[in-house]
Amino acid sequence: MRETVYVLGGAQTKFGELWNKSLSDLIREAIDGAIATTGILPTDIDYVVIGNMVGGETAEQAHLGTLASSMLPHRPPSLRVEAACASGGLAVHTACAFLESGKAETVLVIGAEKLTDVAGDIVTSALMRAGDAEKDARAGLTFPSIFALTAAAYMHTYGLKREDLSLVSENSHKAAVKNPYAQFRKEIPAAAISKSPLIADPLRLLDCSPISDGAAALILSTKRESNVRIAASQLASESLSLTERASLTSFVSTRTAFVRALSESGWDKNSIDALELHDCFSIATLIHLEDLGYAEEGDAIRIFRQGDAGLDGALPINMSGGLKACGHPIGATGVKQVLDCFKQLSGTAHHQVSDVKRALAHNLGGVGATCTVHLLETIA
Amino acid sequence: MDRIPALHRRIKELEKAKLLPGIIESFTVVRHPPAGFGTEPYIVALIALHDGTKVMGQLTRDSSAPTIGATVTPHMRRIRTMSNGLLVNDLKYEVVTMKTMPIFTMTSYVLAVSGPSGVGKTTITRQLMTMFRSYAEQVPIVSTRAAKKNDTEPYVHVSKEEFDALVAKKEIISWTHMPSATELRYYGYRKRDIEAIWKKGKLPIVVTELNLLKGLVDSLGRRAVLSCGLLPPGKSKRLMLSVLLHRLRTRGRDTEEQIVERLKIAEADLKAFTDHAHLFDHMLVNDELGTCVETIRDLVKVGN
Repeated sequence: MRETVYVLGGAQTKFGELWNKSLSDLIREAIDGAIATTGILPTDIDYVVIGNMVGGETAEQAHLGTLASSMLPHRPPSLRVEAACASGGLAVHTACAFLESGKAETVLVIGAEKLTDVAGDIVTSALMRAGDAEKDARAGLTFPSIFALTAAAYMHTYGLKREDLSLVSENSHKAAVKNPYAQFRKEIPAAAISKSPLIADPLRLLDCSPISDGAAALILSTKRESNVRIAASQLASESLSLTERASLTSFVSTRTAFVRALSESGWDKNSIDALELHDCFSIATLIHLEDLGYAEEGDAIRIFRQGDAGLDGALPINMSGGLKACGHPIGATGVKQVLDCFKQLSGTAHHQVSDVKRALAHNLGGVGATCTVHLLETIA
Repeated sequence: MDRIPALHRRIKELEKAKLLPGIIESFTVVRHPPAGFGTEPYIVALIALHDGTKVMGQLTRDSSAPTIGATVTPHMRRIRTMSNGLLVNDLKYEVVTMKTMPIFTMTSYVLAVSGPSGVGKTTITRQLMTMFRSYAEQVPIVSTRAAKKNDTEPYVHVSKEEFDALVAKKEIISWTHMPSATELRYYGYRKRDIEAIWKKGKLPIVVTELNLLKGLVDSLGRRAVLSCGLLPPGKSKRLMLSVLLHRLRTRGRDTEEQIVERLKIAEADLKAFTDHAHLFDHMLVNDELGTCVETIRDLVKVGN
């Protein structure tokens, strides 16, 4: 990082089916919470960056930058960014770029999505815009089925069993019990996950992150200090269409973003104490762990079998409940992941890992077409 | 969302598209389709085409069960319905063989005549052979069955060991086993017999049954087989079967037990016409021999 970017704090709404709240209600609630917890004045905010994917289709609202800016008394400059499910991570990355360049000193970063106002098949179509419209979506593909293609290929290549996949969701559901913002706060045993209804073979309902509403906001600053800083902010791309990939069982964007982030921070990957991974589907978590280098190809399931992904494990994963159990309001997710890392590092998490110094937030757009990686650490 | 100009561009693109077969790299069943794709589950596969490019494609509904590595071939089918009611066609893919490449590419086609025992396959084929003597030839059947005096089909008799060796070497491209209490009945078609007929510039004719037909379709490709199903006259299945029973009895080739056995197979054959409708291009009712032969002759002329 060219400048020290401090995370002053942030807030999130509850994630879930929030029929009583509109997109702007959610954004306002997150902004109010972030300003209140950090104790800054609203007018300290120089810039507003908001991540959102399908507001135009599911909330009939575009122009979200100014919508958010309008909620502040001084109407600061604002913009909306979009990279499908990585819209939130992209918003944090964009804010870092403004801060590093000196264009801004304090930035309000928001991620927000409202999905449950429209029928299921409309949401399904809207979310498929994250894929290639001409090459992938034309065949009638949906996002669960795109990841099902990677799951089927992974199982075929590495002999992974259906029952193994359930261990990943089980871990997320267990972690979410303590998170008051989570959509599902109930432990679900692996056996029940393996019996949930099929969505896109081999993926079942409980392999998939839910359709959620929600928002999250962060205040980042180079001017005001805190004891948590962003040590690296990286963004990487891979071909949009699955038809142009060499491999179905690895996402090059994750590998690229992480290698660059390690080089930017000067860290060793084994010095990271907690991970927030983009577990949009159970199979994705396994692929990420291999792309990040925490497991050999085809071997990531071992981390879950050995119980290493839990609170007391060697590599705690998604202690917020992840996308699977905390919920996945598309644009909000990447911001909320960084917020959860901040909570772990400042010792305020509901499911607190002991002795955390370094944390990673990994946000994915599409089927690995975009990836953002943020590394956060506490400063003594 | 309905984007009519986008549909126009796709139609232009499809006009120029090479219709290539490919191999399934991965597939899934979409159980919750997006808007416009109906409510019934369908299968989507990532397919590596034979020219090295990849496509995402739906499998046809009549496809056999896909596997990773299976070969598929494209067809134009309805893929979705626009909100204004416009039906949209696009390429869908049919699984043609399991984990095997086509054994040889189509240079011509094969006329397949199938139908239940007693429907008149042999008679019709004989008529066709007379009519087409200079440009059609019947494909011999390789069989483990002992030769009989009154055999009407061209047979090549082999031992079971020889038959298995031919299958293993992929010399036999389609085969079937007919369970029988009295004899070992394996039947098959040799690749070289069909190729030899094509080399002479002639049309190979097979008088066949469901399993053999499936085998031919799998190895030659669906479009390389002009497939005609023959039905006995009769408004109901019961009437059709009594016509067959009458014909089998008057033919006098079989014992009463054999006739009952044949009739059971015939019943299954009739059912196959509806269960495997995609394997048949034309269904003909053999109520008047001359008309039926002429119909097939016309089909072949068009096919040529």
